[in-house]
Amino acid sequence: MDALIVIFISGLISIFAAFAKKPVVVLLGASGGLMVAIGLIINQLVTGHSFVNISYEGLSFDPISLVFSLALSVFSLLIISVGYERFKEEPEHTGEYIGLLLFSLCGALIMTAFTDMFMFFLGLEILSIPIYVMAGSRKHDLRSNEASLKYFLMGAFATGLLLFGIAWVYGATGSFTIDGIAAAINDGAGDNPILLVGILLILSSFVFKVGAAPFHFWSPDVYDGAPHAVTGFMASVVKMAAFAAFLKLFSGSFGMESVRDFWAPALAILAVITLFVGNLSALRQVRLKRLLAFSSITHVGYTLLVILSNDNLATFDLWFYMASYGFSIIAIITVGLVVNDAEDRIEALKGLGKRNPLLALVAVISILSLAGIPPTAGFFGKYMVFSHAWNDWWWLVIIALINSAISIYYYLRMLGTVISAEDTPSEKIKLSPLTALVLLICLAGMLGLGILTPFILS
Amino acid sequence: MPQSVVRAYGLVGGLATLALTIVLMANYNPAAGMHSFVSQEWIPAYGITLNFGYDGISLMMLLLTTVLVPLILLSNFGRELSSNRLFTSMVFLMQFGLIGVFISLDGIWFYIFWEITLIPIFLIAYWFGEPERKAALMKFFIYTFFGSLFMLASLIGLKSFAPSFAIEDLKAVTLAPEVAVWLLGGFFLAFAIKVPLFPFHTWQPATYSKAPMAGTMLLSGIMLKMALYGMLRWMLPLFPEALDCVTYPIIVLGTIGVVYGAILAIKQDDMKRLFAFASISHVGLIAAGIMTADKDTLSGSVLQMLNHGLIAVGLFLAADVIERRLGTRSLRELGGIAKQAPKFAFWFAALAFASVSVPFTSGFVGEFLLLKGLFSFDNVIGIVAGSTLILGAVYTFRAYQLSMYGPVKTSAFADLSISELIVFAVIIIAVVFLGVYPKAVMDFVEPSVTDLLASIKQTPIVP
Repeated sequence: MDALIVIFISGLISIFAAFAKKPVVVLLGASGGLMVAIGLIINQLVTGHSFVNISYEGLSFDPISLVFSLALSVFSLLIISVGYERFKEEPEHTGEYIGLLLFSLCGALIMTAFTDMFMFFLGLEILSIPIYVMAGSRKHDLRSNEASLKYFLMGAFATGLLLFGIAWVYGATGSFTIDGIAAAINDGAGDNPILLVGILLILSSFVFKVGAAPFHFWSPDVYDGAPHAVTGFMASVVKMAAFAAFLKLFSGSFGMESVRDFWAPALAILAVITLFVGNLSALRQVRLKRLLAFSSITHVGYTLLVILSNDNLATFDLWFYMASYGFSIIAIITVGLVVNDAEDRIEALKGLGKRNPLLALVAVISILSLAGIPPTAGFFGKYMVFSHAWNDWWWLVIIALINSAISIYYYLRMLGTVISAEDTPSEKIKLSPLTALVLLICLAGMLGLGILTPFILS
Repeated sequence: MPQSVVRAYGLVGGLATLALTIVLMANYNPAAGMHSFVSQEWIPAYGITLNFGYDGISLMMLLLTTVLVPLILLSNFGRELSSNRLFTSMVFLMQFGLIGVFISLDGIWFYIFWEITLIPIFLIAYWFGEPERKAALMKFFIYTFFGSLFMLASLIGLKSFAPSFAIEDLKAVTLAPEVAVWLLGGFFLAFAIKVPLFPFHTWQPATYSKAPMAGTMLLSGIMLKMALYGMLRWMLPLFPEALDCVTYPIIVLGTIGVVYGAILAIKQDDMKRLFAFASISHVGLIAAGIMTADKDTLSGSVLQMLNHGLIAVGLFLAADVIERRLGTRSLRELGGIAKQAPKFAFWFAALAFASVSVPFTSGFVGEFLLLKGLFSFDNVIGIVAGSTLILGAVYTFRAYQLSMYGPVKTSAFADLSISELIVFAVIIIAVVFLGVYPKAVMDFVEPSVTDLLASIKQTPIVP
């Protein structure tokens, strides 16, 4: 709760600080606020006490939601620091961009901590609405406008589905809270077709939010059109928050054997489709963010295995997978942002090693991590997900492994572009200290996360 | 940093690890079995342990790695490559991964190190290889990665029956034969692609000929030993239930590889490709020998792994010596080099003899043990595999004769430099030493092989 309040207030401050027309003030305010929030989260994780104790039943910041909040706040901090390079070009709007990102983060925190459907819905909307605006923040760019409109229309549609689903579930169980729904299902509401319809509707709105097939069509256009920082935010923070809520709802409320048998096979088939659609579409992409959009669809496919796996460590699997994915995607997006190619071509990464060795190193490691090659965090994440899904869904794991092999093709092509030494543009790339720091943090995250697992688990 | 420092640093680093290995060997008591120096829990929730150790077989592989790395660095001294920082660091990253593979006693760590080796070899070949290398390398990476993923699937599948990935826990699992066959299949695919066994070899000739010489040496000298070692250490002991079904097919595949590789080698014009196919032939024999799961044959296969590593490095160096001076490796364009470079002719001849396993070279002892094992396993297979002796002589001496004798077809040929001479001499001395006194290796290998075989549970097949 502390962190939520602090982040909200620093979002407000960011917006008002913009009147000073000094972007650096906004940056300091926002990152200071986020750091305080991170400190508060860690404090609550370690000591178990929070400073603000409002007894409200809709939100409960238990250790699980705190761990997710921690990762979400760290990602936001990284993205704001990176995106600042671009935001400051329009000093009069910097405050709005950063403020909107912080408000969106508030929604993300709520989505990790909700205990009833009402708060969940609020969190989702608080998360989404700023992103609709952010996606269109390059006002004179046609693709940015298209991204914004597309995301908004599709998002509104998914929200409608969600509300409709919540209504059906309420009709069947008579409860809005996670525990209440679970209790009602245990008492025999599980056979009620009204409930099942509701679950399907909620499921499809989640599938939309995380960008899994067949509701993935918005994501390549939106990722491609939105500014780099917003793409990074959507891929790391939004996805993590959506999956955290997804898992919470589907293992908490709808996790019972009887109901699980109903939605799990449907989700398994969606996962298979998602994996193949993402991978096969990614094979021939030439634009970086578009490729990352398709690769993120594939990653969603892997992550769906967590929702299916029905293991008591599933939450940690999810956290680890999304954290490793978040670090990798922020790293590669940062590289793309620094290279700053007008057309965002992958070709523009050519000869990065000569132009800036740190950038090339980070790019290589993040590609390896996205591909899931040891010893990067991406491998450990995949391993954890697969090993827990094996018992119930071994065939799905094998399909996922085959997909890892397919995906290696486009990652390798990208890797080849980064490390190639031939006919490179000769001008060097200069990094601002802030960006270099972000890159180093991502590097540490991608390499260190696997080794830190025992500490995080304990 | 000045260029020569990088070169010297690389060599000193390589020699230092060699010295360490020798210290380990001196302190190792072969009768004591597996010397496990780390054994503790790491992530209990996911069954990953920290389990590292070595026995005689691992030590021999470590020795091979640490001997070959300085030799490979040394044989590049004539090129600018040797003073390239990226190259040197990648070679050491490769060595790190290889050593990890040979000492891992936990499935996940084995897999991690196994995959780590893929990155440096890819980068070395990508940065320093020949012009049209990209497609070949892509195929190599995807092919081997594909195989490895199946190994990961098998590991996860096997782990679902065991408390952890520690090799002892995995060995203790008793599987139904039909499950065991599938799980073994995953491991086999990874190893068969890496070795490579017929019919999984299609990536190999292109990759070998497009990679820079150092990359080819690393691939054929050490990296494929990783797969053979994996068969010995992981595949045989983990799935005794399935061995009855798979032994025969794998031996047949190995034997096909022996003949197939040799016949293709005879027809090659490019020397590097020729040695690549010869390599398929030699390792097919080793793989077949490993599957007999017989004590002498296994010892022979370990010896032959050492031998093949040394000789492959030597032969690829010979091809490179020619290419570096004349700009071609095509046998059609070569001839009469012996007249121009007598020293090179001598050492190349010695290598050629070692490669066809004449007595008093280690190849003789190794191949003899392997063929003996295969012959007692099945007469026909023994005879077919035995043709390697004849076919091997044909392709090796054809390459030698066409390049070294006959009319002089090429311009001046500078004789060997000191660094090349040292590499050739070390290899020949090692090969002859092992040929005369194989007991030096056998003392380490045999007790470990006995332990390994004893740990393979004999489970009767339930009909």
